[in-house]
Amino acid sequence: MKWSEFFVTGEPMIYGAMVSIVLVSLAILVGLTYFKKWGYLWREWLTTVDHKRIGVMYIIAALIMLFRGGIDALMMRTQLAAPEMKFLDAQHYNEVFTTHGVIMILFMAMPFVIGIMNVVIPLQIGARDVAFPRLNAVSFWMFFAGAMLFNISFVIGGSPDAGWSAYFPLASLEFSPTVGNNFYSLALQISGVGTLMTGINFIVTILKMRAPGMKLMRMPMFTWSVLITNVIIVFAFPVLTVALALMMFDRIFGSQFFTMSNGGMDMLWANLFWVWGHPEVYIVVLPAFGIFSDIISTFSKKNLYGYKSMVVSMLAIMLLSFLVWAHHFYTMGAGAMVNGFFSITTMAIAVPTGVKIFNWLFTLRKGKISFTTPMLYAMGFIPIFTIGGVTGVMLAMASADYQYHNTMFLVAHFHYVLIPGTVFGVLAGMHYWFPKIFGFRLNEKLGKSAFWLIIVGFNVAFMPLFFLGLQGMTRRQYTYSESTGFGPLNMIATVGAFVLAIGFVVLVYNFYWSFRHSPRNEGGDPWDARTLEWSTPSPVPVYNFARVPEVHEQDAYWYSKKKNVPLYSGEYESIHMPNNSGQPFILGIVMFLLGFFLVFSWFIPAIIMGVVTVIMLAWRSFERDHGYHISAKEVMATENKLRGDSV
Amino acid sequence: MARLFPVRHVMGYIFSLVLSLVALGVVFWDLNVTAGLTILTVCAVIQASLQLVVFMHIGETSNKRSLYLNIILAVFVGVVTIFGTLFTMIWGFR
Amino acid sequence: MKINDTLPLEYSTEENSNKVFGFWIFLGAEIALFSTLFAVYFTLWNRTGSGPSGSELFELNGVLWETFLLLTSSFTCGLAIHAMRLNLKKPMMIFFGLTLLMGLGFLGIEISEFVTYVQDGATLQTSAFLSSLFVLLGTHGLHVSMGFLWGAGIMLQIKRHGITPETANKSFIFSLYWHFLDVVWIFIFSFVYLKGLM
Repeated sequence: MKWSEFFVTGEPMIYGAMVSIVLVSLAILVGLTYFKKWGYLWREWLTTVDHKRIGVMYIIAALIMLFRGGIDALMMRTQLAAPEMKFLDAQHYNEVFTTHGVIMILFMAMPFVIGIMNVVIPLQIGARDVAFPRLNAVSFWMFFAGAMLFNISFVIGGSPDAGWSAYFPLASLEFSPTVGNNFYSLALQISGVGTLMTGINFIVTILKMRAPGMKLMRMPMFTWSVLITNVIIVFAFPVLTVALALMMFDRIFGSQFFTMSNGGMDMLWANLFWVWGHPEVYIVVLPAFGIFSDIISTFSKKNLYGYKSMVVSMLAIMLLSFLVWAHHFYTMGAGAMVNGFFSITTMAIAVPTGVKIFNWLFTLRKGKISFTTPMLYAMGFIPIFTIGGVTGVMLAMASADYQYHNTMFLVAHFHYVLIPGTVFGVLAGMHYWFPKIFGFRLNEKLGKSAFWLIIVGFNVAFMPLFFLGLQGMTRRQYTYSESTGFGPLNMIATVGAFVLAIGFVVLVYNFYWSFRHSPRNEGGDPWDARTLEWSTPSPVPVYNFARVPEVHEQDAYWYSKKKNVPLYSGEYESIHMPNNSGQPFILGIVMFLLGFFLVFSWFIPAIIMGVVTVIMLAWRSFERDHGYHISAKEVMATENKLRGDSV
Repeated sequence: MARLFPVRHVMGYIFSLVLSLVALGVVFWDLNVTAGLTILTVCAVIQASLQLVVFMHIGETSNKRSLYLNIILAVFVGVVTIFGTLFTMIWGFR
Repeated sequence: MKINDTLPLEYSTEENSNKVFGFWIFLGAEIALFSTLFAVYFTLWNRTGSGPSGSELFELNGVLWETFLLLTSSFTCGLAIHAMRLNLKKPMMIFFGLTLLMGLGFLGIEISEFVTYVQDGATLQTSAFLSSLFVLLGTHGLHVSMGFLWGAGIMLQIKRHGITPETANKSFIFSLYWHFLDVVWIFIFSFVYLKGLM
């Protein structure tokens, strides 16, 4: 292979990107050395097994990916701003919309959601960590290896260009001969395995590690949503694993699953992809539902309306989410029976979702509402998500779908679902739980300005796409002629996209500002909230709970505050903690290399990396690591310091 | 020696061999497809449950409700994937 | 570490009991994984292109031996756990050893079967049917191979440390895995081979 094939060449923008990647990496290396932070980075972050730190790393990675995917989005919007733009050529445009989709769903939404789960769940159920802390670190580094592998395709080898759904035959070796789609199959595979392990870890954590007295029906709604989400992860991700493996076999080893000859069936890819893909939508949306439930209840000063119906509707969504996938390809040629069946199940899923919307509204009713930043996101979510949901029911009707299938109408619909349903959710959660981890709140004024820029920008960017879609503009077309009349609405959408981008810049600036200027010492419970995590000091000590709380009611902390029932009793005891380990990080590097070598079909180094993986698993099996203990005295000293001797 | 071979395990083993032999019958008996597939399905499902209950001790801890629920959900998803795929890709395809 | 004496050794600490529970959930995911592979196989099984079909390819003899070996190894694996619960190290090691040997025998037959297929010109690249067959059988075979390495590692640990809560826990989880592979094989035996030859 020639160097000119290995690196992506001939694109000034990509040369610019290469230079900036090299410069940024150098700056990081030099900075770490200059400030003597290598040891700190290794000890405190790269080897950590603490769920809070792993959660923070997930969220940082997700924010970086949000900007990578966001720049893709701005490039697309710039190209479409006016007819016949020459900003991107067709191939480059294909690559950009593909990476935008993959990154936003799998490397932004997923890690953001998982990051918040990591930070919050053990605290919310009164546990000291997740069930398998080491496995949790492995999950993170697998995700990170996958994300880096995917992003490197930008400069080495070429990005995938067959859409985020990578439909065959377009994604086959015959029609996509570059290594781009190899990156797709391997990067997603590696991070997908990490996600699967997260799923198992959190199911065990939630089912087995709750504080005494916290029955299932006393769990906070976010915990419920995460439990159900992880059940979906565990049963849906294996389907993706298989689909991606078959794709890899087709592209690298010449098998005939999705080919056009020798009996291959290209449509089978679309089928398998969506058997996973539709549950995936709920994997990123359900946790946000949980976050909104907690936030709306906290800032209305009321308990959640219809707790049981919330749980039941999420269970219904979980089961239905596995029964609707064919609505993604109504026009592929299936018979009326198939399309009819999937139309009905799809419309049925709107019912439990509607129940949830009404429950949130009734929680707000007659509440003492305070409009904090997290609450604003929740308030913005309800109407916007409803628009997304209603257009979803329009798309669910198979015969009508033939009119607007794969048009901008669809693009507008899923952004109207995923941005309020996931992005608003995780941003609300981030603002809400930020003080728990860092000990101070993000600035409210900046937070609210960011919110207004984001919500206005979002609607200006995506509302026009509904109309463009109904006028016949298809998705993924890289340009259009003036005679189509798509120009003005596209220009409006582009302006909206840039407003949205400014909103995100303000949001990140808020971190910087708050780190420097936010008032500290606001105590463990700045929002006057309801669930267990707020009963700990902020920032939370490494062991989370000095004494294990005892739960008597839903909203345990609120109950304890209002009825003056102590959550904690008894003496401090010594606490058992897991040791840090560098193995997960190293395993991540090995996985990255394994994937990279397979992408280029360099089998001998790939086999070596496979053997190294097996050796590392064996190493782990033979290792005897019993962790360490924090003595009762030390716990007491820490607690007294953090709580200012008040407890 | 005898206590190394508990009756439950031995019975389970013999029973699974017998079930495999019955399933093997479909190759030799002259059956129509439906009957053959029915025999195969019934034998396989019984054998799988036998492994679960006798050898894997699924019911021995206080978690058994969660464990059964886990298997039921997994089988639900599996069955939906298999029959749903056949339904959309073959049986219901124009 | 709190030890609960009312439960078998492998569940005795909270961490160990969580591990068993977590592994069950992993097996749930494995059910979904193999179901997907079966879905692919059932969709593609008569799309043989220019290659041979199942009934032309399958040899009952080897398959019966494979089935017998795997069923018996599942039985001995169960006996190993039973011996472990009686705290009898030597019988446990013998039963585990037998289990792994039979697993190896199974792999030997499967590999020679694959070699025969390839020599007959039936490869992964020949047709959609063969691709799905090789990947379904190969995934199961890979699981058995990993199980063999894993089991061997656990035997070494028992030899070194005896039957402790930790090794007992690992052995029990391994036994769950091994029985599960047998369950998967039952379905392959029935719905790939027997149905193919029907």
